[in-house]
Amino acid sequence: MVKAVATFGVIAWILLGAAPAASAHMGEENVPAFTDIQEGIAILAGQPDLMDNAMDKVHDALDSNDQNGVDVALVRQAYAALRRGDGANALLLLEQSVGACPGAPVLNPQPPPRSPEPLTSPCPHPQHLQGLSRSAVGGGQETVFLVLAGVMIVVGLMLARRIR
Amino acid sequence: MTTVEAPPEAPRTRRQRLFAALDERLGLSGLQYPVPEHANKLAYSLGGLTLITFILMVVTGVYLTQFYNPTVGGAHSSVRSIITSVSFGKFVRGFHYWGAMAMIVLIGLHLLRVFVSGSFKRPREFNWVLGVVLAGITATLFFTGTVLKWDQESLEALEHNIELGKILGKFGFWFSPSFGGVSILTRLYVVHIAVLPLLFVLVVAAHMLLVKRHGMAPSPFRKEPEPEPTRPFTKHLAELGALSLVLVGVLTILAVLAPPPHGPAPVAGIEVTKPPWPMLWVYPVEDWVGVGGILWATVAIFLVLFLVPLVDRGPERDPRKRLPMMIAAGVVVLTIIAFIIYAAVQPVASHIGMG
Repeated sequence: MVKAVATFGVIAWILLGAAPAASAHMGEENVPAFTDIQEGIAILAGQPDLMDNAMDKVHDALDSNDQNGVDVALVRQAYAALRRGDGANALLLLEQSVGACPGAPVLNPQPPPRSPEPLTSPCPHPQHLQGLSRSAVGGGQETVFLVLAGVMIVVGLMLARRIR
Repeated sequence: MTTVEAPPEAPRTRRQRLFAALDERLGLSGLQYPVPEHANKLAYSLGGLTLITFILMVVTGVYLTQFYNPTVGGAHSSVRSIITSVSFGKFVRGFHYWGAMAMIVLIGLHLLRVFVSGSFKRPREFNWVLGVVLAGITATLFFTGTVLKWDQESLEALEHNIELGKILGKFGFWFSPSFGGVSILTRLYVVHIAVLPLLFVLVVAAHMLLVKRHGMAPSPFRKEPEPEPTRPFTKHLAELGALSLVLVGVLTILAVLAPPPHGPAPVAGIEVTKPPWPMLWVYPVEDWVGVGGILWATVAIFLVLFLVPLVDRGPERDPRKRLPMMIAAGVVVLTIIAFIIYAAVQPVASHIGMG
């Protein structure tokens, strides 16, 4: 039996040990700054608590070899705002830096404009960039379903006991 | 000398006549075969409850498919529409979500019960293998369902899937976004609503046929010399029906009071979410060895499960007399639970591109 368990262990160890080793991120400087900024905007608009992730994206944008269509001075201000923990201002600055509101999910970023258009007011945040929380169903159906559920549980338990 | 068989007693009441008519045509009395008494315990009903949950998933899934748009451009907004505009949409989606969680838990507990009670031993080894295949199909159903809701978590799950396809090389061609004429999201949708359910039904049919062929495994704890009393299988079905009522009640409460959240529309190129808890155990493995760790850890778990009947092949079923196997299983289960807890408290990390 001990031999059997050892066989288990060895197989699992070999399989896990055969996994490839981790390697560092590479080639981030080749990602266009425009893409990094759009991703940073999406993070701040959708999940503002993940400020570190947004800061990484902004940092990548500043390091990018391709800063076409991005106002780098505004990106620097946004980075400073993020370092101060001011996500709202950083979001506004990032939107202004690319002259665009996030508008639609960034699945296939279009070629960036040659120079960003200035934004005069904050972008409205579209619904799809916000998460929906775990809120109860609510309304009249909530009561009906809860009563039905209670009846099913009680009847089910009674029947199970009776049948046994 | 010939014996004359007494004619069967004629049914008297209307109910008996109806049953007799149906039985003559459908062979319903064939279901009244004897099963041991211990089969009516909850622990021995977990497989049946998994199947009931699967049926509930099909019913709620059919409702959801009436409103879901399986395209990259339309999936997120169609799920939002189901939650906010479709009649009973939020409830049905919640029921489907909690049912999926229940199915994962039930099939996991069923596997554990079969392992602990030694029910996989000769001559039931092949049925254990079918059970592990069913667990694999259930896990894949869960994964594809996670992608279909098409929020940030979904896209990140899909991106990991695509990375795994690259690791598989030529064998991972199906997971390439460039394969086929429609998006991988649409193809995963077809897999989720058609291919996997069909496979599940076929394998579960074979699984049940083998249960019927070999009978329920004897209880490992029974020491009395006389044979265990039996009850008709229909009693077992009736108890399963009663437990199903409880299950539906619990799932209804969860669906009403705690419907699943729905994240923001997906953004490519970022990793800002963690997988749902049934897949969370591979998250630390990813931290340590990269995305490939998902593949290797999953293959390792399933390989170990497949090998169980070969490794623990003695006739002894009593778990107290198979302590090393119990300890090994306990270590595996506790490790998985510890990984889930560890991953839950860890900050979000990027894995794609690690290797």
